[in-house]
Amino acid sequence: MHQVESIQSTPEASAAPAKLGRAIVLTSGKGGVGKTTTTANLGTALARRGSSVVLIDADVGLRNLDIVLGLESRITHHLLDVLEDRVTLDDALIADKHSENLFLLAAAQSREKDEVETPKMQALVASLRERFDYVLIDCPAGIELGFKNAVAGAEEAIVVCTPEVSAVRDVDRVVGLLGNRFRPQLVINRLRPQLVKKGKMLSVEDVNAILRLPLLGVIADEPEIIVTTNRGEPLALRKENATGAAYHAIAARLAGDDVPPPMPPAAKPTLFERIGSLVGRKRS
Amino acid sequence: MSARKIVLTSGKGGVGKTTTTANLGATLAKRGHRVILIDADIGLRNLDLVLGLEKRIVFDLVEVAEGRCQLRQALIRDKRFESLAVLPAAQTREKDAITPEQFSAIVDRAAEQADYVLIDSPAGIETGFRNAVAGASEAIVVTTPEVSSIRDADRVVGKIAAEGKPIRLIVNRLRPDMVRSGDMLSVEDVCDVLSIELLGIVPDDEEVIDTTNRGEPVVLSDTNRLRGIYEKIARRLEGELVPFTSFDGQGFLGRLLDALKAG
Repeated sequence: MHQVESIQSTPEASAAPAKLGRAIVLTSGKGGVGKTTTTANLGTALARRGSSVVLIDADVGLRNLDIVLGLESRITHHLLDVLEDRVTLDDALIADKHSENLFLLAAAQSREKDEVETPKMQALVASLRERFDYVLIDCPAGIELGFKNAVAGAEEAIVVCTPEVSAVRDVDRVVGLLGNRFRPQLVINRLRPQLVKKGKMLSVEDVNAILRLPLLGVIADEPEIIVTTNRGEPLALRKENATGAAYHAIAARLAGDDVPPPMPPAAKPTLFERIGSLVGRKRS
Repeated sequence: MSARKIVLTSGKGGVGKTTTTANLGATLAKRGHRVILIDADIGLRNLDLVLGLEKRIVFDLVEVAEGRCQLRQALIRDKRFESLAVLPAAQTREKDAITPEQFSAIVDRAAEQADYVLIDSPAGIETGFRNAVAGASEAIVVTTPEVSSIRDADRVVGKIAAEGKPIRLIVNRLRPDMVRSGDMLSVEDVCDVLSIELLGIVPDDEEVIDTTNRGEPVVLSDTNRLRGIYEKIARRLEGELVPFTSFDGQGFLGRLLDALKAG
């Protein structure tokens, strides 16, 4: 039996290209939970580990991945130019400013999502997998056509969720729509440990009690993210920063490295607690 | 007199459309208006959660469109305000389960029994957005002071302006301390780019996350400052001239935005 299988698989194996990268869609259902920021930072972290990475902005009409990477002025061609055979892939790929081996395929800004043909999108992702170790697809919000096209070429999914009831509900819906393919893994984004401690925000356990997904990472909410996003410099460029390091841990986990399981970011002591410890009072 | 039919939209998701719809709706109801909120986010509904009404849903928008129930059967009365009602979206259907004509007809029927119909648009600019806008005669664009959010809002403003509908702006989740340190765009920066009339400025407030999770709009809290802020927005919407609180700050980000605009 085993022999038959191996004989059958031989022609396929010889026809397959030497390299077949992983195509991963980052999705969430709800918008504004950090898909694009996560895509940029995870892509940066993977590239800094030495992998070759291409990021596809699938949000036709509302592109933003270029801004987060600081590449908005460098766009000459976009996804639809490639899908409609006006330019080659090489003409449209934009090399990242900060990280070698990282490329962006920008979305068209003045076009509509229904202009993307699903089979062409699948073919594009398939050809990118032959050239790159990772193809990360930044999915638009919602579950309409843009979502369907973003998901079409992917083999795996990362779902991004914030610790909010509405985000959890939307992610749960998306996990349902993804079905049994994609083996979705979870990134919990914008956790505020101080609020969790006070019982005013869902904890990592609360979120995953509902979603029950393999946890890939937990990212804290910090103003620094807004700043770096606006400036087009992903925080993952700074490994010494706790959040930057958290993205590198996600990259390592995704790559299959043996890293410790994700830990929720620690709550910084409140002013009251700090004063307490300064005067030598034991914290309860 | 027919009701005002207002869509709340943004392009980008997660900027606070649903939270704004719930809070503005509750504020208008508190001020004595009859208000109907319509959740146009078919498949990803959330307005019911934010209002704490998720367990009371019997019928939804698509069932009304398909004539399987009456509008009044699908409307859920709010727990706290007699004059506030919600028409929930369908959760297990797709956005194209309803046409713009069907949607507009439902909004018009709602308008017959209300003073304000607020339509909570889904994120993006696809079918769901087009339905939501089709039913409205005016729009409120919600944006956060972030480059990506403003760029998306600008795109949406262009689309709505092309239909000749008046548009006003709510800048949500402003952090004045970050504006002062030059790490966040100021309201002036945002207004410069979008060039539409400002309706309100809502500061970022931690309590919103918690109140949203609990299904209690933050304007119900006696102590939260957002209550007064939404009150002002409601008064402006009614036509009153209410002065704005202003925050200063210009810098790197404003310049970046100028560059984007020029590009």
